[in-house]
Amino acid sequence: MSLPAIAEKDFQDTVRSRGMLILVALFSLLVAVFAYVFAPPGEQFATEFLLSAAVGPFLVTTLVPLVGVVVGYNAVSGERESGSLKLLLSLPHSRADVVFGKVAGRGAALSLAVFAGFLLPAVVLFALAQLGYIQAFNVGSYLGYTVFAAVLGVVFVAIAVGCSAAARTQRQALIGGVATYVLFVMLWGAITGRFLGAAGDAGLIGPLPVSQQQISVFLQVANPITGVELLSNAFLGGQLLSGEAVNQQISAVSMLVFWTIAPPLAGLWKFDTDDL
Amino acid sequence: MTAIELRGVTKEFADVTAVRDLDLTVEEGEVYGFLGPNGAGKSTTIDMVLDLVRPTAGTVRVLEQDATADGVAIRQRTGVLPDGFSVYDRLTGRQHVEFAVRSKEADDDPDALLDRVGLLDDAGRTAGGYSKGMRQRLALAMALAGDPDLLILDEPSSGLDPAGAKEMREIVRAEADRGATVFFSSHILEQVEAVCDRVGILREGDLVAEDSVAGLREAVGGEETLEIAVGDDADADAVAAVRDLDGVSRVDRDGDALVVSCADGAKTRVIGALEDAGVAVADFHTREASLEDLFLAYTEGDAPGAGGEDPGEEGVDDTDEADAGDIGDTGDADDTDEHEEVGR
Repeated sequence: MSLPAIAEKDFQDTVRSRGMLILVALFSLLVAVFAYVFAPPGEQFATEFLLSAAVGPFLVTTLVPLVGVVVGYNAVSGERESGSLKLLLSLPHSRADVVFGKVAGRGAALSLAVFAGFLLPAVVLFALAQLGYIQAFNVGSYLGYTVFAAVLGVVFVAIAVGCSAAARTQRQALIGGVATYVLFVMLWGAITGRFLGAAGDAGLIGPLPVSQQQISVFLQVANPITGVELLSNAFLGGQLLSGEAVNQQISAVSMLVFWTIAPPLAGLWKFDTDDL
Repeated sequence: MTAIELRGVTKEFADVTAVRDLDLTVEEGEVYGFLGPNGAGKSTTIDMVLDLVRPTAGTVRVLEQDATADGVAIRQRTGVLPDGFSVYDRLTGRQHVEFAVRSKEADDDPDALLDRVGLLDDAGRTAGGYSKGMRQRLALAMALAGDPDLLILDEPSSGLDPAGAKEMREIVRAEADRGATVFFSSHILEQVEAVCDRVGILREGDLVAEDSVAGLREAVGGEETLEIAVGDDADADAVAAVRDLDGVSRVDRDGDALVVSCADGAKTRVIGALEDAGVAVADFHTREASLEDLFLAYTEGDAPGAGGEDPGEEGVDDTDEADAGDIGDTGDADDTDEHEEVGR
């Protein structure tokens, strides 16, 4: 089992890249700006409001997936183009170890960047709250939300690594990663809406044992971004895996697991048969 | 037991057949030199042994296991120095070796391996700053991790200076003495001769010869080359007299010397004929056909093993110079001619 060795090496390699520092700085800066804009000193400060109204839509659901794609897209194809893959595969590693080791290593590196980037401003907010400049800063909500942000990042790392494994060149991998990003961030609602409309018109949904409404909800949470939004909002509202929407949340969790495993598997299926 | 066994292996790429119906056997414990000009299919063959490339037809077995199905188990016992690889620029030399040791579940001391390849002083630097030769040494250190049963070295000397190439050969010998099988490819012939028990020559995807170096030399023809110091004495008549002798295939004038290619037994007659023609023979020595001549005979000749190729034709080396890279190795006193290594 050499997956941990690859994951660790890839983690070491990734966290030493200059991009990591830039990421941490960028996350910190953006969180700090949002905190300042949305909760000016002296006014009512709501951690949950800051997260769900500002950090969520502007940072987590748009920037984090993009960063995930950037971190993941060259995982395999980059090594393939440079030739370090030869060094890696001359050691007793299977190609599956390589693909999933990369998902783990880069996912961990991205998570580290998210945690570091979110925690630096959190320390400041916490200090301000202690000093009485702002009203209570909810540490629990903030940390929990950071976990959801990291999860979303890891999902996109996994998708991008899958593209990377399937691609013959860096360019193909980048195109695949960016296309996935555009699909989930911008086009998902429109495409699934059309699909559903067309299916309904064609009478395909009637015979199924589910309603159009159920399919619509499923397609929504099938988008990992919507899924994480749903779960994180439920978490901030104290309703995580409870309350009326519990089924929806379970669907969302399942789909996140699916997106973490299926793209690397699909990429591996192609990668495993390739001549390198 | 066989270390590497290829049976009827063919590899076709979209536009070219790189290897054609190749049978190759490397026995356990031997040092096998895999020779051929660039583009002959050496790297494709090695890539198939390493399961980086899958054969179109035929079977590849390594350490008695299937190259594709049991690749991980094979590489657990194999050390590989790939060709055309690159390092992880941001990781140090030591981190590379630690990774190799861990990957092979070995218990080597990374610093001892780095010391063995002469890289200990630079172990803490990131490999991105390494020269080509240092990267080659680093990959060798990684290959040596875990005392592999089989070492596969693809063009191991590329990027190494002569001293480095010599150290590389010493490590190959030491590994062979330990009992490891060594399979390495090269287009630098002297290095193959210096360390190999057996040599296989690949040409356009076919194995055109496979033998010991001595055996190959015999197959190319029992000719030897006489170099006779004659001063200014030898006139055209004397040269013609030698050329007319039985067993003499070629006579060339080279400054103060005559270079005569002749059959093994004709040496005395050549000297005799010269003396009969009134030429004072100051000195003479014989040269064996060099590996380079052999190589050219096999890779450019019409038929493998045909003696028609004149072994003394060009770039003749004394084979005592086999360790061409050894600085300070004075070798044979007769070694006066410099030579170029093909493809360097």
